Amino acid sequence: MKKQLAVGSALAVIALVIYIMAKGFGNDPHAVPFLLSGKPAPNFTIKRLDNDATVSLADFKGKPIVINFWATWCGPCQTEHPVLDWAAKKYANQAVFLGIVFEDNEQNTKRFLQQNGWSFVQLFDPKSTVAVDYGVSGVPETYFIDRNGIINHKVAAPFVDPREFVAHMQTILQ
Amino acid sequence: MLLALSLVASLALGQEGYTPQRPVADPLDAAREARVQALGKQLRCAVCQGVSIADSPASMARAQLDKVRELVAEGKSDQEIFDYFVERYGEWALMEPKKSGVTLGLWLFPVLLLAVGLWVIWNQSKKAPPAAAPAATPGPAASDAPPADDYLAKVRADLEK
Repeated sequence: MKKQLAVGSALAVIALVIYIMAKGFGNDPHAVPFLLSGKPAPNFTIKRLDNDATVSLADFKGKPIVINFWATWCGPCQTEHPVLDWAAKKYANQAVFLGIVFEDNEQNTKRFLQQNGWSFVQLFDPKSTVAVDYGVSGVPETYFIDRNGIINHKVAAPFVDPREFVAHMQTILQ
Repeated sequence: MLLALSLVASLALGQEGYTPQRPVADPLDAAREARVQALGKQLRCAVCQGVSIADSPASMARAQLDKVRELVAEGKSDQEIFDYFVERYGEWALMEPKKSGVTLGLWLFPVLLLAVGLWVIWNQSKKAPPAAAPAATPGPAASDAPPADDYLAKVRADLEK
């Protein structure tokens, strides 16, 4: 009886270790969790880059919103530039697109925008306070917010394929 | 991962024309600033992962520390400040997992393992064979007594012949 108990206990410990290891190996150890999905998007009021006017998230109440966090020094941000530009034009009548530049400076950003052009409003987050509020953990990151102001999800990778972007848009246009 | 690394690398290099190193927000008074630093030691940097926001040189970590400073200035409790980061990143944001819920197992597992080890040692020590008794030296009375073993009796009889 005692022997059975000892063997049973040993097997239970081994099974627990295997379970923990399998769970650990199944996840990307460098992926940063994101728990704001399904929660209200934090409001903010920050300055536009093209003039001194400020913009608040609350200004767009009732509309689906796409927020793209980026920086001029970020290569993948430049890669996804044409996709976002295309999407902002395609969905101009259905959703609001906002770019938020953080961990950068105004001169760099203005120069970049003059050279490349952007088809949607660009805002400047000088102290990265909005980025921290949104749980940003890298660049670029794109947030999809539904018309009720709830964060549906975020994509922490650059968009390369427009079809992929369309699929994400469907989640907030419904 | 690559993106986070590129962010850290760029922030650390501070190359001209790239991301600037932001000045840190003004510190609070000594007591509250000490609390900010203590809290910062317990919160994980979102872009450098293995380092706390108090120890990381990354600009984004300093932005997170500024947030802690802002919350302390607003009079938030330690728990409310931890909750702010946990709400965004989950318990991953904490350098030490909480001692409750599922993570309680992480804290209890080593203790449990030690207890099992002690039990095994105790159990084995109970089964250890008793120390061997010193060999009895047959005395003269013993040699005179008739042996109980037939074979021994026969050997003795042969010797006496």
